[in-house]
Amino acid sequence: MRFCCLAIVVILSSCSSDIVLKSESQQDTGSAFETKYSIIFVIHGDGDYLYHDTSGNNYNADEETLKNAKKVAMENPNAEVFIFHQKSSKHFMFFFPLKDGEFFYYRNGQLIANELYWRDQEKSNFDNEVRYYQSFHSVNQNKFINMFLYFGHQIPEFGGVGYDESYPDRKFTIDNLAIGLKDLTIDSSKFDLTILGTCFGGTPYTIRKLGSFSQTIIASPENLHLSYFDLSSLERLNINLKNEDVPSFAKRFAQQSFNKLTKNVQTEVSVVVYDVEKVQNFLNSVQNDYNITLDSLKGMTEANLLKIKHCDCSDIPVHKISTINNGVDVFYRPARFGRSKNKQNHSGWECWKY
Amino acid sequence: MKTIIAFLSVLVMFVLVIPANAGGKGELQKHFSNIANKVKATENVAEKRAILENSFKDMSEALDKVQSSFLVSKEDQDGIENLKVTLKENQDELAGINGYERVPDSQLNNFSSYVVQNMEQADETITISVVALVLIILLVILLL
Repeated sequence: MRFCCLAIVVILSSCSSDIVLKSESQQDTGSAFETKYSIIFVIHGDGDYLYHDTSGNNYNADEETLKNAKKVAMENPNAEVFIFHQKSSKHFMFFFPLKDGEFFYYRNGQLIANELYWRDQEKSNFDNEVRYYQSFHSVNQNKFINMFLYFGHQIPEFGGVGYDESYPDRKFTIDNLAIGLKDLTIDSSKFDLTILGTCFGGTPYTIRKLGSFSQTIIASPENLHLSYFDLSSLERLNINLKNEDVPSFAKRFAQQSFNKLTKNVQTEVSVVVYDVEKVQNFLNSVQNDYNITLDSLKGMTEANLLKIKHCDCSDIPVHKISTINNGVDVFYRPARFGRSKNKQNHSGWECWKY
Repeated sequence: MKTIIAFLSVLVMFVLVIPANAGGKGELQKHFSNIANKVKATENVAEKRAILENSFKDMSEALDKVQSSFLVSKEDQDGIENLKVTLKENQDELAGINGYERVPDSQLNNFSSYVVQNMEQADETITISVVALVLIILLVILLL
């Protein structure tokens, strides 16, 4: 009996204990591998992320993105890379909850830390992720180029209940993501680049919220296939981002992602680069109308909400204004089939058809 | 009565076997992916078209049956209704009716991929419960 209890304790501790591979001083040593880039990946995996390629092979989007994020981390000798993998809640022997997050920290291409952690159990504001970031973030005399990347399903603009399959009562909305970004930008006013790998990320509300903490944003205003964006241009940033011109890099990243998606996907493809400063006029002009729409939608039942679809903002007369094209670089191809297969252009902004 | 008990037992076993994170939706996606593989595996255009037509027909029947079942909630019924609309549009496009251009013979492989990808990113299936999704899959298997 005593042996059994001991065995269970050992198994439990091995299932849930933190695994810190190596601890290091936060002080950057100023070596040849000086840290110039700071990249944060948040990969949501607490839901259905299964997809198939055209040969019928199945993949889990979060696992594939994690693999690619690790490759980015290892291929960047001048970067620190934080990867947060938000996983489904699982239990050992039906009763003992296992940690539902995994954290990786790479610096100079080396894995420094890998820990299992608890995600926020009530509100999803990235509190625990922020804590890890503050503990491991390098101290550097020079300014970093900061990037934030989020991959997951469409983040709701309101409501947000059920975003995490394991926590059906917990809410997660764009507002929660914005709170997380605010806490992650403590030592710099804004991220140089934010990449939102979700469906319907290019709405006026989402870009305005995330734009408070980002200078340039890449997002998909329409549905985004679960193969997400091509991350290979984030590898070897010392070559790909040599001149430190982040907006130009963002356009190359978007073009490369667009090329890969259009090659593999028959559904609609839209990748847009938003220059946050230049889109402000448009955002200010549509803010009131868009918020009135959101307020109306908030009062609807789930069943009625299902009937409300998204559309290109330029399809709504009040939003089709002269500034709609300012500050956006749009890479768009319609779906090969379906009602919109002849749609040739997209404004880069997605609204509610209401 | 025995049939109902046997059916419910199979349903319970199915629900227990399917991992929670697959949520039943994975099985639905797998079904459409298998259909696409069958379409791509044959050279015969008429056969490709027939595989797609029959799969849409079987799925529609399954959706109708589950939607009218006492086992599903009002939310599930609404979710299924949305799925039916998507499926009907695919059917119409394949046949070239209700304002759609008929999918050309040369595009049937790509169309089968489109159906899979469209289903994978369709938000309406997310609102359907595991039980309802499992019922749909069970009925599709029985109809095949």
